[in-house]
Amino acid sequence: MNKKNAFPVTPSTIIRLVLVSVFDVAVLSLIRQLLDDGNYPLSGILGVVIIIITLCFSLEKLRYYRWLGVSLAATTLFVLYPILYTIYLSTTNAGYGHILTKQEAVAFLESQQYVPESGQQYKWTAYRSLESTNDYVLWLQAEDDATFLTGIGTATQPASLGDDGIGAADDKGIPTSIQGYQRLEKRDTVAMIDQLGQLEFGSAPDIIRITSLTVAATTQQRYHYDSDGDTLTDAETGLVYHPDEGVFTTDDGQELPPGFRVGVGLDNFERFFASSALRGPLVRIISWNFAYAILSVLCSFALGLFIAVLFETLPGRQIIRALLIIPYPIPALVSILIWRNLLNPDFGALVSLQNSIFGTAPNWLTDPKWTRIAIIIINMWLSYPYFYIVSSGALQAIPTDMMDAAAVDGANAWQRFSKITLPLLLKIVSPLLVASFAFNFNNFNLIYIFNQGNPPIAGSPIPAGHTDILISFVYRLAFNSAISDYGLGASISIVLFLFIAAITWGQFRYTRVLEDQTV
Amino acid sequence: MKRFVFLVVLVVLAVNLPLSASPKAVAQTPTLTIWTDDQRLPVLTELSKAFTEEYGVEVVVEPQGTENTMNTMTQGAATGEGPDIFTIPHDNMGRLVDTGVVAPLDLGDKAEFFLPNSLEAFTYNGELYGVPFAVENDALFRNVDLVPEAPKTWAEAAEIGRQLVDEGKVEYAFAFPDLGYNYYPVYTAFGGYVFGRDEEGNYTADDLGMDNEGMVAGAEWANSLIRDGYASENLDWEAAHVLFESGQAPFIITGPWAVDRFKTNEVPYAISAFPAATEDGEPGGPFIGVQGFMVNAGSENLLLAQTYLTEFIATDESMQYIFDNDPRPSAWVAVFEATEDPDMRGFSEAGVTGQAMPAIPAMGFVWDAWESAGLLITQGELTPSEALSQAAEQIRTQITESE
Repeated sequence: MNKKNAFPVTPSTIIRLVLVSVFDVAVLSLIRQLLDDGNYPLSGILGVVIIIITLCFSLEKLRYYRWLGVSLAATTLFVLYPILYTIYLSTTNAGYGHILTKQEAVAFLESQQYVPESGQQYKWTAYRSLESTNDYVLWLQAEDDATFLTGIGTATQPASLGDDGIGAADDKGIPTSIQGYQRLEKRDTVAMIDQLGQLEFGSAPDIIRITSLTVAATTQQRYHYDSDGDTLTDAETGLVYHPDEGVFTTDDGQELPPGFRVGVGLDNFERFFASSALRGPLVRIISWNFAYAILSVLCSFALGLFIAVLFETLPGRQIIRALLIIPYPIPALVSILIWRNLLNPDFGALVSLQNSIFGTAPNWLTDPKWTRIAIIIINMWLSYPYFYIVSSGALQAIPTDMMDAAAVDGANAWQRFSKITLPLLLKIVSPLLVASFAFNFNNFNLIYIFNQGNPPIAGSPIPAGHTDILISFVYRLAFNSAISDYGLGASISIVLFLFIAAITWGQFRYTRVLEDQTV
Repeated sequence: MKRFVFLVVLVVLAVNLPLSASPKAVAQTPTLTIWTDDQRLPVLTELSKAFTEEYGVEVVVEPQGTENTMNTMTQGAATGEGPDIFTIPHDNMGRLVDTGVVAPLDLGDKAEFFLPNSLEAFTYNGELYGVPFAVENDALFRNVDLVPEAPKTWAEAAEIGRQLVDEGKVEYAFAFPDLGYNYYPVYTAFGGYVFGRDEEGNYTADDLGMDNEGMVAGAEWANSLIRDGYASENLDWEAAHVLFESGQAPFIITGPWAVDRFKTNEVPYAISAFPAATEDGEPGGPFIGVQGFMVNAGSENLLLAQTYLTEFIATDESMQYIFDNDPRPSAWVAVFEATEDPDMRGFSEAGVTGQAMPAIPAMGFVWDAWESAGLLITQGELTPSEALSQAAEQIRTQITESE
């Protein structure tokens, strides 16, 4: 059975194995951290990734799948995981007041202390044992000036100056030393106060804890969680809380923050479809969303193509081309802000120009119709260079002999363009048009930076604007307020995704028909 | 297969080595981490050196914007992320407390050294959650070349503005950055408010004043200027500031953040308290935003962080140092009263009648609806009363649907 050549150990194999182990170590320690944080989904996905990579790179049998494995792992991590996580979030109430997991919320509540009615507050001074660094005693002064001495796990005893083992008092009446112990000065106390704060002085049930630099008190744990009955009891008030929709609630509806994350099934979808958002402006927003995406693509494509055809044969076109592409490398953010200022009714340069020529200018930022036109124009400015580049490239690919033949047959320039150039061109660029449509359908930047979706729609049951598209509306709905509702946001984005997926699928079918026809 | 097994063994060994080598021992001297914004970063870094010197505790100050701090605190603090202490405007407090990530503070007898309204701003459900250090609010800015004396009533302000427009000295009588936050002093002068308070003095979402008579009367004041062409139909924060600094509008209501740009543009401005609705009426008040320190409830150095604030920050020296190096009206009475800078005094006087910005979560629904109402009024789409009742309805709907 021992084939000598089964494991050819070459330097490259060793290097590969070392690299894979380095990768595995890095990812595994990341997974360990994530597990500590209780992030099981992400650690699970990373586990899948590590198995794929390790198997592909160490098993000789799988050597042909190595790079496929890498892309599979990357897809899992960066595409599959966010999708799964979004779906998961959409079924929870994650969001404002429901960020923690239940364990975290319980842990937080159980860490709360209170001073019971029978409890006492003291001013304290700490003394450290001369023998052990973990042993301390406290000198306590109650509000009625009675003084006590207490140690870790030993009962609190009345003590006064002059007692055995208690050193001379300083000017504040606090002993400078206690037998076997050395007084901690303020400087040391501050630096180790959190260490001291974890210690329990006195004996049960009167446990004394340090609650601040000056105050120590007999405190007790305020909330007790009973995992059998799934209830939380408040020791101070005696109230009993049950978890209800992700927050501990008493029978008469009193809630105890912080809440926690729980599954809510399809509630988020139900809420979205039942919300005033749908009764109100949604239809209007969807139709503008379509108009916006379609007009943006068509206008930019038309302009880009027009320029491409126009300059195809012109002398000096290299320079013109370079100039025309200028809008492309400028960040869209900058262009949009410049446009916004150009169109400002009070001091915008374009508005003054219109005023001086026509004596009047439309209000580009507040009139719904003109704001929409402005947005289409800006989008043309932003994206025509792309279509110009694509079209000039595609035009090169159209065989000239067809044009020549058409010219011989007596077709004029327009006929040649519309009957030969355009159909052939469409065949090449239609996938790009579809992609551009999908991009523009969700082009949040332009809408939000230009006018935040404004001007507002009068009479809308919740705030919405005439230029809001679905994605900017969702942003208003789920994130623009202080109350971030991630569960609702996730469910809306799933609805949006299905919506756009359906449209895109339809378009691809249509373009396939188109292609079949032209061929 | 043999190689695979070898690899697995190697990996398991390697992962566990660093585990055993780095025990989770508590450091002997803890380190305090503070997050603050860019402006306060050098101030707190320098200031904290004195703390390190006195108590031997290292303090690391890191720059973080408000949004980032809020995201980390509300989403990550429970799992041990975030700083020990951070500075934040108080209106974020409701979210932090409701998420359970900030610890209450006890100033003891030092409370009396703070401006009462600054402490009130950081009080939520009856508990104090922050140590305030600076108070920010709007004031009335006027161009002193055009308007030498501050007006006493809003009617007078409008009259002065209209006259200046008629004389051709300015383009508009008043510059409005918005009809919401920066217009609040007008609303309140006429008796408007956003949220009322319950018996215990806490803001309550049950009492929304958005569509009350005072709010409508306040909005009418701007509306009549706009309808008569004495104010711009375009509501834009940036444009309003440009109008004022270019001398095209004699008045603007804005905050300390605008002072620098007005100085750069050399517009001769003066800052004053707000006018009243009538001669014998109460002057309106702005929203007051308080900057303060808060403590991460999940911090391993919880007591130390609280000690840093109560023993070190809440002192004359520290508060004076913060004010000197980041001049905004101080929340510390002694420093506040010793201030001589006329701009600071102007803001302080304007803030006397102010109300802490509500920190209740429902405030999150107000801004968008309020902004829309302001735009609809300025554009003449709706009357002030229609626009504000619509905003009120929108806010109520969202409050109900979020419950």
